[in-house]
Amino acid sequence: MGRIRMVHYLNQFFAGVGGEKHADLPPAIRLGPVGPGLPLQEALKGEGEIVATVYCGDDCVNANGDEVIRAILELVARHRPNVVVAGPAFASGRYGVACGAVAQAVEARLGIPALTAMSPDNPAVELYRRLVPIIPTESSPATMKEIVVAMARLALKRGRGEPLGSPEEDCYIPRGIRKNVVEARPAAERVVELLLAKLQGEPYRTEIPFPQVELLTPAVPLADVRIATIALVTSGGVVPKGNPDRIEARRASRWSRFSIADLDDLTAEDFECVHGGFDHDLVAEDPDRALPVDALRELEREGKVGRLYEYCYATVGAGAPIDRARRFGREIGEELLAAGVQAVILTAT
Amino acid sequence: MRLELASYEVKDVRLGPRTALRSGVLEIDAGEMRALLCQDPVFEDVKVELARPGEAVRIVHLLDTVEPRVRVSAPGSDFPGFLAPPLTVGEGRTHRLAGVAVMGAAELPLSLGGLNVKEAIVDMAGPAAPLTPFSRTLNVILAFKVRDGLTYREYDEAIRRAGLRAAVRLAETSRGLDPDRVEGFELTAADPVLPRVAYTCLLMQEGDAHHMFVYGRTVDETPSLLHPNEFFDGAIVSGDHHMAAHRNPTYVHQNNPVVRELYRRHGQALAFAGVVISKCLTWSFFDKQRSASYAAKLARLLGAQGVVITAGTSGHGVADLMLNCQEAERLGLKTALTCFEMAGDEGAECGFVTFAPEADAVVSTGNMDEVIELPAMERVIGGDTIIDIGNYEGGGGAPAIGRLKTALHRIYCCATLVGAGRMTAREM
Repeated sequence: MGRIRMVHYLNQFFAGVGGEKHADLPPAIRLGPVGPGLPLQEALKGEGEIVATVYCGDDCVNANGDEVIRAILELVARHRPNVVVAGPAFASGRYGVACGAVAQAVEARLGIPALTAMSPDNPAVELYRRLVPIIPTESSPATMKEIVVAMARLALKRGRGEPLGSPEEDCYIPRGIRKNVVEARPAAERVVELLLAKLQGEPYRTEIPFPQVELLTPAVPLADVRIATIALVTSGGVVPKGNPDRIEARRASRWSRFSIADLDDLTAEDFECVHGGFDHDLVAEDPDRALPVDALRELEREGKVGRLYEYCYATVGAGAPIDRARRFGREIGEELLAAGVQAVILTAT
Repeated sequence: MRLELASYEVKDVRLGPRTALRSGVLEIDAGEMRALLCQDPVFEDVKVELARPGEAVRIVHLLDTVEPRVRVSAPGSDFPGFLAPPLTVGEGRTHRLAGVAVMGAAELPLSLGGLNVKEAIVDMAGPAAPLTPFSRTLNVILAFKVRDGLTYREYDEAIRRAGLRAAVRLAETSRGLDPDRVEGFELTAADPVLPRVAYTCLLMQEGDAHHMFVYGRTVDETPSLLHPNEFFDGAIVSGDHHMAAHRNPTYVHQNNPVVRELYRRHGQALAFAGVVISKCLTWSFFDKQRSASYAAKLARLLGAQGVVITAGTSGHGVADLMLNCQEAERLGLKTALTCFEMAGDEGAECGFVTFAPEADAVVSTGNMDEVIELPAMERVIGGDTIIDIGNYEGGGGAPAIGRLKTALHRIYCCATLVGAGRMTAREM
């Protein structure tokens, strides 16, 4: 492969055509490198060249969305680049979003590898880090020289069609995406080595960092359960016989709502368990064991709870991805709130 | 307690008129094997098939896998608790056919409600091959055809026993021959300045299809001790038919790679203190806490300063893993763990049902949710159709020989928890 052809994307300020009051400037193009493109070109050390610089006002991109992105892509495509580099945007939020949007669109729609650079606290990082590699920068352009070296290295690599390495290898902000790779040594050797390093007080690095999970604050307790409407919701896979909503046995993609308005008791004739992650003979025998309608009816009759809500909700929890489970919870919760339900009993398996 | 493990390196395996090992070639009389295994009335037929590394072959419906081994000196017997009385093994001399794996495959004519047998696939070539240790072995597949109308337990027990029996029969061919190498395993006294390291091995016990055996019995709530040599002699036998990716078949315990690694470094970088076995998938939090605390105490009684803990399975088995880590760390023992991930097909989700802050040294055996596209193969062994359960992996009910897009869940032992595999997940 000869020299890597690169198109560079900048905003109006870094392209040297104006400051804040020109932020609505429409997309335009110049041949060769401009502004930060000059040190970037130098960092390519003759292995690549910036064939054109596309630039646009930050407000223009942020306000007009896809129409402007399409115009930018058209300008980029004309120069048949092997790779597109956007920024660096440093701490500028609007410029960061523009860089992320352009780089992502170049990858997704033109099929050309792209990358950008900005400071890790730029709000665009959260929006785009999963979609395109973002090289971390300081918040101000003072460190331009070092940044363009990292950008040039990754741009050349991607321009040659080589796969993206790990965040450490290629110096980009971790995307929060975990990909499988085959290690040189089996897990058993690695785990013993990890333990020995830990025992000897040497530095060691886990292969699984502590996951970022959301901690929830429990709702305020009910003032009086004797007048509350209570709903039953289960991840235990108890559904009407025949599974009319076709809830999957594992990793369910949906939930089911069904009426229990006239029922005192769930029977094996009318209900079944479709959960694929536990031995559900006992639930099949008496579905109330996972979805205790019978017990709630009794409490209702005794006046110990106000009312059992006339619909139950069910899904299957086995292997559920957290994001999906969260969405189910929100959807079901919104329906229950709208129906005036004050409390939910969640039964799992 | 010293065990001599004599390895006979097998370079090729073929079917022939007489079961014998000659110059590194294992010849198997399929008719004799069939007659031996069909003594059990559960089987209508048993077909012996072979799959070698690099062949365009797909094996499906895999159950347990066993390495051919035979005890050739007293005391002890082959697979105690299954083929012989449950007397302690791990001492004396045992022969193994290195490089051979006896794999059971069957489609059972019954549904088990929640705990169905999951599909399990090995491709001997193509993109899935590097992910499983069993694409590198010479595989002798026993394709079982079972009679209708029996219970799961009857099928399960018969198939397990048949696999063990076949493994012993094949290893018998080494009697009287000179081995390629002999390894001696003994917990010799080590320099007291070396850190003492124990191994806590979590074993699953939930019910049919989700269980492991120690000397013929499922694991109970109270953790106990094993001498590491007992692994090599078949004290642990697998009934783990849960998700194929993280299964721990008998083979990986006979060659338990953590036990081997701790032995390899014994006397040099560490002093191997012994093995604690502890049940996972215990039903109640009470029992989980009790087991974890008890296991940590046993490791401390072994004088350990550090402990390697391998996960037993997924689901709330991860809670057992994390509790074992926490309890050990609470006693001042340093821990390092193995764990699989279920981070979604894109790898963008949180891959764990629970995680302890003390778990700061964890080796990943990979994200089982990642999707792989398998090419069509020339030959398929074990069945015609991909088992369809829940079908979230994709491709359920598809022809087994064809192209298949599936989550790694179905790739046999690609994320095996005792650490035999090389797959890991990395943040990108």
